[in-house]
Amino acid sequence: MIWEVFRQEEAGKYHTHCGNVHAPDREMAKLFAQIQHGRRKPTNSLWVVPKEEIGEVDTDDAAFGGTTDKSYRWVMGYKDLDAAFAQEIADSESEQEAADRQKQAQRGDD
Amino acid sequence: MAVEQAGLGTPDDLSDEEREAVETLLYRLADDELVLGERYTEWQVRAPTLESDLALANIAQDEFGHARLWYDLLQDFGADEADLIYERDPADFRHSTLVELPFEEGDWADAIVRSYLYDVAEDVRLEALAGTSYPRIADRVGKVRSEEEYHQEHAQNWLERLADDEEGRARLQEAIDRLLPYALTLFEGDEIDARIDDLGIRTESLDSMREQWFDIALPFCRSLGLDTPEGIREDPKSFLPEQVGRDGDHTDDWRDLHDEMTHTYRELGRTEAHKIMPDPDETDE
Repeated sequence: MIWEVFRQEEAGKYHTHCGNVHAPDREMAKLFAQIQHGRRKPTNSLWVVPKEEIGEVDTDDAAFGGTTDKSYRWVMGYKDLDAAFAQEIADSESEQEAADRQKQAQRGDD
Repeated sequence: MAVEQAGLGTPDDLSDEEREAVETLLYRLADDELVLGERYTEWQVRAPTLESDLALANIAQDEFGHARLWYDLLQDFGADEADLIYERDPADFRHSTLVELPFEEGDWADAIVRSYLYDVAEDVRLEALAGTSYPRIADRVGKVRSEEEYHQEHAQNWLERLADDEEGRARLQEAIDRLLPYALTLFEGDEIDARIDDLGIRTESLDSMREQWFDIALPFCRSLGLDTPEGIREDPKSFLPEQVGRDGDHTDDWRDLHDEMTHTYRELGRTEAHKIMPDPDETDE
């Protein structure tokens, strides 16, 4: 049985998927995950989740973000705003610009 | 008035008799951990699954780390790492014969039973060292104990699962029948043990540690449907194997293992141990 493993580096941060382990049950999965995924990188907590318990929806099933123009959802839609007063906004803006470029490039591939 | 150093004080403060008692105890601790770690590594790339392979390899690394902490305390008395491991005559090693026996060919139950019997004993032993009168040992007990917890949990979890079906239980039973007498050697000693106890280097005698070990290990084995020999509690000495290890008398398997362990050192014509890590006294880890 496969257990997906999620690692949290420090308290308060997200648990991020980092791999999986084979184990017969939850207890053994937790034991193995400690060694396989919590030994070399900074670890505050690990989650183990049975693979079959994970629900998935992918690009075959859904058009993520819709197909019509909804750029008002993006911070870049408010270009006149002076982002300088808050670093978070500036960061979020550049993240979204990067994501947008990636999305365009992906569409280009299709 | 000078403040009195707690307990036995520093290595330099020890009388010859005190030093002999400390050394006797440390050799047993260090040699047990080193030799068990060395045996465990034989499972590498051979364990039943990738996960169990990594878990046991990790446990072996822990045991080497613990051995290193204890050998480091022996270095306080002048010996260096090469003297303690590579140059030492195999007959001078003081580990219990439980840790030197080869595993039965491909028998994972052997590794698990051995690990369980050892790890419970190790826990009892560390507990008896937590209040030691020798500060250099006291400083290191906590660090070792926190890693040993995982070892015991690992062995216990595996035992429960192997005992869950008939074939697994039969294998466990064979391993217990074979290994239990050797595990008793962990609690053997010599005439210096009375001094170790009197000086408070250890807060429990070997006999009382063996009792504690019986209290934990025997009921647990029985709860899994495994039999333990009648009368072993009442008269443990009569169950001892021919070689107990603590007195330097070992099985032939130890000579082979020692030969293998020191092979590269000899082949490369080394005269000192290769060091890749800082001295344990210089790190907080």
